[in-house]
Amino acid sequence: MISADHVSVEVEGLRRQFKTKSAPVVALDGVSLKVGEGEIFGVLGPNGAGKTTMIRILSTLLMPSGGSAKVMGFDVEHEAEKVRRVINMASGAEKAGYDFISAKRNLWFFSQLYGIPGEVAEKRIGDLSERLGLTKYLDRKFYALSTGYRQRATIARAFVNDPRVVFLDEPTIGLDVMTARSIREFLQTEAKTHGRTIMLATHNMAEVEAICDRVAIIDKGKIIAEGTPEDLKRSLGAPALVMEVSPPPKDLEMLRQVAGVKGFTSSADEERGLSTVQVVVENDSAANGASAAMATAGYRVVASWRKEATLEEVFVALVGSGFKEREEEGGP
Amino acid sequence: MISFRSLFASTWMGIQHDLAWTTPSLAIALRTVAPFASAMTVSIIYWFGVTQSGMALDPTRLAYILVGSTLYAHVASYAWVPTIAIAEGKNLSVFPHIYLTARSTALYVAGRALSAFAISTTTSLAALAAAYFALGSFLHTSIVLIVTPASLFMLAVALLVNIPAALGLGYFLGAYSLYASKFEWSLPGYIAGLLMVFSGALFPTSILPWPVSVGASYLPFTQFIAASRDALIYGRVGDYLWSIGLSALGGVVLLSVSVWVYFAAEKARKDGVIDRRLA
Amino acid sequence: MRARALVRLWSIFGEPMWIIVSMGFPVLSSLALSLLYYSIGATNYVGFAVLGGVMVAFWGNVLWSMASQFNWDKQEGLFEIYLTSPASITAILIGMSVGGIVGTVPTAVIVSIIGWVLFHPVVAASWGAVALTFALTLASLYALGMALSSLYLVYGREAESMNEVLQEPVSMLSGIYFPSIGSFSPFPFAVQIAASLIPLTLGMDALRKSLFYGEGFGAVSFDLFALAILAVVFLAGSAYSLKALERKGRRDGTISVRIR
Repeated sequence: MISADHVSVEVEGLRRQFKTKSAPVVALDGVSLKVGEGEIFGVLGPNGAGKTTMIRILSTLLMPSGGSAKVMGFDVEHEAEKVRRVINMASGAEKAGYDFISAKRNLWFFSQLYGIPGEVAEKRIGDLSERLGLTKYLDRKFYALSTGYRQRATIARAFVNDPRVVFLDEPTIGLDVMTARSIREFLQTEAKTHGRTIMLATHNMAEVEAICDRVAIIDKGKIIAEGTPEDLKRSLGAPALVMEVSPPPKDLEMLRQVAGVKGFTSSADEERGLSTVQVVVENDSAANGASAAMATAGYRVVASWRKEATLEEVFVALVGSGFKEREEEGGP
Repeated sequence: MISFRSLFASTWMGIQHDLAWTTPSLAIALRTVAPFASAMTVSIIYWFGVTQSGMALDPTRLAYILVGSTLYAHVASYAWVPTIAIAEGKNLSVFPHIYLTARSTALYVAGRALSAFAISTTTSLAALAAAYFALGSFLHTSIVLIVTPASLFMLAVALLVNIPAALGLGYFLGAYSLYASKFEWSLPGYIAGLLMVFSGALFPTSILPWPVSVGASYLPFTQFIAASRDALIYGRVGDYLWSIGLSALGGVVLLSVSVWVYFAAEKARKDGVIDRRLA
Repeated sequence: MRARALVRLWSIFGEPMWIIVSMGFPVLSSLALSLLYYSIGATNYVGFAVLGGVMVAFWGNVLWSMASQFNWDKQEGLFEIYLTSPASITAILIGMSVGGIVGTVPTAVIVSIIGWVLFHPVVAASWGAVALTFALTLASLYALGMALSSLYLVYGREAESMNEVLQEPVSMLSGIYFPSIGSFSPFPFAVQIAASLIPLTLGMDALRKSLFYGEGFGAVSFDLFALAILAVVFLAGSAYSLKALERKGRRDGTISVRIR
């Protein structure tokens, strides 16, 4: 429980509807959540679930259609200017910067839009760049930076105004493992050492497991689960059942009929002529039922074992059925 | 302080952005080419028209067209900068980040317009000088221009007095760019065309049909060009002051209304188009 | 080729407002220059400004939708797809040209109608010669656009600035609004020779002769021949340079580098 004094982001019944030519689309449908100071809060969800809409509203780029949202106590709808003084944002998909101008000068430019005195800005840019491993590349023109360094510069920009809350949308998308890791370490330090709140919208489950204190899973504009990654994994009950099955099954619909099965994934190993099926189960009897269902359907369970559910499996279990429906409807 | 820093940084960024794609001197030289060529084109049209129609070439009228066309190019090139700055900012994904900094988009737009003013003043005056000599050489005629410290001072004052009007036009167009996610790139062409017809740049507005001619004659841009002609061609101080006064008044009115319109573009946030890239 | 032409046409005609928006500058600049001729009493030559407005619409289309198109495609990652598809790049460019020409026709028609209604320019046309000259002018102009598109791929990011640099001087030298070659030209002979390498120059000269002075094929035969040569040279030049560029890009590994 976050104490009222330390709430950075407070969202209550947030709603956003977009007009389209055919019918209105509800992107957010009564979302409520609270994020505390110094917390890294992950927002997970399939494409079109409403993650980016929520971030856009919280960062004052979009007005809500209903409900309320406050950042550091300021209402995003009516006190947008006050909100803007304490926030910043960055997106991994948009390497925002003026192409022909060096990374350093781009950072300086944005610092000036916040009225930061020259010397302070210079020092802060130097400090951020050093911590992000950008120092050697600061004088390169923005377009000449590699994807990784452009993203480091984008992250540096998001912290140049010493914000209390930072909204990040897929900050490590398309980055190599080492760059992604160094950005994650940077974000953790910013949250834990400087007490900044970071809201992170992403599809990267490993990233969420690695750095997020709490997570909300959002689907069709609603929060369908919220808690620490550990809480969410525990909420699935017993660990997952992993089976190696031969021959590779054409479909796994029979598992849907088993009571206590919450979701499943499979991957075929053609060389060995079998499939690895992972089943998220509520309890031991569901696990036994799943094995029996495979056998009844004519498949041989070569080996089976139990393992801890991953966040990805939680996600699939919670969102999977909806995802299938969306695909059948022609996508979100 | 935050306002001053924003304005200064935006002006600096505008100059960098417009010139940094090559060396600054080459960029300035290349940017002089367009106003030079357009001034040459309209001046040659005048020369061709009168000589082929059996009339005598009037050096004062040639100067009228030359000054009008270069100053028209000057106004057109910086009045549309706010539109382009916002449209290109959206395209580069930079604009949303400028939007959500405290109090900055109006100042950013003003800064970009001021940087364009500085560049355009340099290139327009260079184009005027280059066309003056080139036309003299090609058409074998001397063009009547008053170039004295006093006339140049009067021109400089006219250029400065015209800033609010150009900025006002810029905010109007910028408000559209703020709200829209398509066609922004085409607006400059329209504005350039409208200015060419209605600002008295190439011909007196009196030849336009009534009441368009009356409306066009009171446009701050028409008065700015008229004042500049009074300074550089006719040396009429009384007429110059009258035109400068009207230009300033029109500029203040246009700027006030346009700033109000620009801030009303808050609707853009409601509809979520601030960070939408171009269609 | 057909597919690329259709894509261009769908994007132009799929958004009717686009046609209205894109005709702004050609219509208004043609109006302004017609009024300039009118204001100085040279009413016999107002037709030159109207014709100039028509042709400037095509010239603008060549610069902004042909010459720099591959750069924008490269930014969006489309250029790589063109290269890796079995279609020839030249065919794609020709498709873009055909789409561009058809898409610019409404603007050209509107400029003509406004000019006609407002100024009643005196036309004494030899229509067969006008039609052939117009067709050959567009062919060589769009071939120039194709050649520029390959050149701009080398220039890369500066394409837009180069367009801005080229637009007005080419309008001036090619005599879109006044004769820039021949006995009425204000330019020295050497400048006229250089200007004749721009397809618009010969095209405008021949169009004025055949549209306003009724001169037939005989009088414009040299212009027509030269335009045909220019079209072939630009077309071959663009095909060759695109191939060379593709080879160089594959060797240096620069083709798949997106600008942003």
